[in-house]
Amino acid sequence: MKLSAVQADAIQELGNIGAAHAATTLSQMLSSTVSMSVPAIRTIDIAELGNHIGDESAAMVVFELQGEIQHGGYIIFYITRESAIRLTNTMLGMTDMDRELNEMDQSALLEVGNIMVSAFLDATAEMLGFIMLPSPPVLSIDMAHAAMESLIAQLGEEVDEVLLFSTELICEEHKIDSDIIMLPEISTLKRITELLEAMMKAP
Amino acid sequence: MADPNTRTLQTATIGIGEYRVGSFPMMTIGLGSCIGLTLYDPQKKTGAMVHIMLPDSGGRTDRPGKYADTAIPVLLKELDKIGSSNSSLVAKMAGGACMFEYFGTNLNIGERNTDKVRVVLKEQGIRLSAEDVGGKVGRTVTFLPASGGKVSIRRADGVTSEL
Repeated sequence: MKLSAVQADAIQELGNIGAAHAATTLSQMLSSTVSMSVPAIRTIDIAELGNHIGDESAAMVVFELQGEIQHGGYIIFYITRESAIRLTNTMLGMTDMDRELNEMDQSALLEVGNIMVSAFLDATAEMLGFIMLPSPPVLSIDMAHAAMESLIAQLGEEVDEVLLFSTELICEEHKIDSDIIMLPEISTLKRITELLEAMMKAP
Repeated sequence: MADPNTRTLQTATIGIGEYRVGSFPMMTIGLGSCIGLTLYDPQKKTGAMVHIMLPDSGGRTDRPGKYADTAIPVLLKELDKIGSSNSSLVAKMAGGACMFEYFGTNLNIGERNTDKVRVVLKEQGIRLSAEDVGGKVGRTVTFLPASGGKVSIRRADGVTSEL
């Protein structure tokens, strides 16, 4: 699906609002300032996925988009391994960087992802009047590309191109760099763009 | 897509659904449920590598490298053009992991990919000499046709192994 400039702008605005709410929750959890990038919308040929997402080790908390559309695609809280350790260290009052991500880190990451993604989807639901609910989260701490290609392979609508829609959230004080990435099914994307276009036309 | 005429010693990165044929180093990064399959001709020290995403093409022909059922025949055709017959080839595969245990969808695509590759190789009479498949682990795979068809695998934790 090709997005028009207007559609891309509208989705970017939607991402802005969702990510701003997610950033607020992260900021509260860290008691620190969190800044966010302008949301990036990238249409990527699957053959080129490796140019965007590499085999670096990262934690990904993945939710299926459910609700009005049953299998709507995925929304992902992505954080590099180093940032993940700094995040849980900050939250749990620890300092040791040279360690494996243990069970406590994993539950903390699931919880942080859950809070942020829920805030993101609450905000977009309010704006769109279209409810997308997150499934229970699953966690992968492994090569980012391996997790992402597995999600793309299990999309319901088979694709040669994916639309990745991501916003970077950064906490400079604690050097934490994370992303919220949305990988919608084409049907979800269509529904969202229709609703946004209807909103823009409304008086 | 595949360009058998390219002669470069730089490592070719093979994206999802792509394949290459030659004697230069080839690599697939971050395999999850996908399969990195190599076919190697020990006499010619040349071979092919493909990054398979799904088991069945369902009749689609535009990206043969994407599906196990179409990828293997197209590699064999390309290898036959440069004089490597099926009986002289040795296969190795890696990947086919299940990165997310639960998703309600009940699709273990990694396992289905692995099974399909085995079936098609058998149909074509190709010997599968080694494999590193399954589990819940990502793999980056390098194929060196010029060095005896060596296949090396790196995991996210830095552990490397050879097939």
